[in-house]
Amino acid sequence: MENVWVLAAVWVGLALIATLVAIWFKVSTALSEIVVGTVAQLIIGAFFVHGELGSKTPWITFLAGTGAIVLTFLAGAELDPQVFRAKWKEATIVGLVGFFGPFLGCTAIAHFVLHWTVPSSWLAGVALSTTSVAVVYAVMLELGFNVTDFGKAILAACFINDLGTVIALGLIFSPFTIKTLIFVAVSVVVFVILPFLTPRFFKRYGGRVSELEAKYLLFLLFGMGGLAVWSGSEAVLPAYIIGMVLAGTVGKDHVLIRRLRTLTFGLLTPFYFIRAGSFVSIPALIAAPLVFVALFAAKMLSKVIPLFPTVKTFKYQREEGLYFTLMMSTGLTFGTISSLFGLNHGIITQAQYSHLVATVIGSAVVPTMIANALFMPRHLLAPKHEEPAPMVQVRSESAD
Amino acid sequence: MTGRRHNPHFRKILVGYDGSPQSDKAVDVALSLGECVDSTVLVFAVARPPEPSTSVELEAVLDDAREHFEEGFKKIMERARGHELSVTTDMAVGHPAQQIIHRAEKDGIDLIVLGRRGRSQIARMMLGSVSERVLRYAHCPVMVVH
Repeated sequence: MENVWVLAAVWVGLALIATLVAIWFKVSTALSEIVVGTVAQLIIGAFFVHGELGSKTPWITFLAGTGAIVLTFLAGAELDPQVFRAKWKEATIVGLVGFFGPFLGCTAIAHFVLHWTVPSSWLAGVALSTTSVAVVYAVMLELGFNVTDFGKAILAACFINDLGTVIALGLIFSPFTIKTLIFVAVSVVVFVILPFLTPRFFKRYGGRVSELEAKYLLFLLFGMGGLAVWSGSEAVLPAYIIGMVLAGTVGKDHVLIRRLRTLTFGLLTPFYFIRAGSFVSIPALIAAPLVFVALFAAKMLSKVIPLFPTVKTFKYQREEGLYFTLMMSTGLTFGTISSLFGLNHGIITQAQYSHLVATVIGSAVVPTMIANALFMPRHLLAPKHEEPAPMVQVRSESAD
Repeated sequence: MTGRRHNPHFRKILVGYDGSPQSDKAVDVALSLGECVDSTVLVFAVARPPEPSTSVELEAVLDDAREHFEEGFKKIMERARGHELSVTTDMAVGHPAQQIIHRAEKDGIDLIVLGRRGRSQIARMMLGSVSERVLRYAHCPVMVVH
């Protein structure tokens, strides 16, 4: 499609459909957008010769990439530095175990069982090593655990787990030249300076309608992202760490975060997730369903097996330890970012990409369903009242 | 207090609130009933996160829910001024039926009042009816306001 506005209308129309689906079925917009992207590409591919959704159009690639970077920044900015300082030892150990288990386990399964190449297998390990902070946090909130020491430790551990994923993605596939050293050196300086510079800069020039804060943050994210890509790394690596180091300052600015969210959800992430979905090949998934089964099983087992004994060493109760299994959920954001990185850089094929994204979605959905079933109050699973509670039906006489 | 009767069965009433006109009707019924039988009324809202969420979307949903319910709670408290009874408000996160049942048990609620949304068959099949689940599993009487 050469007409930019028609193409834009198609993509925003798909985003609208995805949002409606998310509202109707109470699922996350990200999940809905991935699925809508996949289905849309399937339909267009089936009905039009060489039909494409335009996923490789430069301006769509730019918007999608910006979506991934800003989303990653916002995810990092949600870290609570005080909680992390208080629980850093447990969080670091559990987070690293939660990362290395599936990272090594899935890499091994991809290489030795599925016979993927070494780089493809590492990429599979990275994509499936992530955890879902949101799934864990949602369950914590439901149970009121978010204010307990246990809850705070597990949340902080999730950030460490995801940090491991982002660093692995940023450095494993990097060529390690002088450029890498320059990138690492500049990054360290920027990460140290930012928490001091940013609040002072905002205090002096911020709070105006010209949205200086948003421009400043985008400048930083694009600048560091550009440096990362120049060095052969990935733009989301500095974005996540910038989010974390600014969590105590920018992350507390509720108004600014809300404005960034509006920009992100309203324009950027639909392009990112629909684009990620459009590269998924349904025929490839149908042709080799056991690949999905193998990756899914590898992900689950390699999370749970090392995490349980680790949690026990911190003397948590068995029931509490069960909640750590929620960490086996794969985060949609980092899971798809890693897979898309692999596809864009020719590390994995489209079929491998399709299996990885399917596993990312499966490992995000299935643990949520298990969590819902396991952690329902017991009276929901087995009614203790033989007779239903007395019911009174009242018909209101209100005019409407 | 004229016209008020102390009723030992309904000392505490929980009314589910989601901002819909149906839940507003349920709140009105609960306030009137609470005043009649000298009960305390807890107006209880539940924010339901999308599943599986991304962390940024979850925070956004919770922020919106807090604002939405706080605005609704303010209006309810203004309406409650016309009634002679103690009204409190609170919000939880999770599945609405699960959270309502849990809170009712925890607080020793004597009566749960809910509005009926009248969702389509498909929506009920996919999401389940909150009132039907509460009706099935609650430890106390449940009043559903049409």
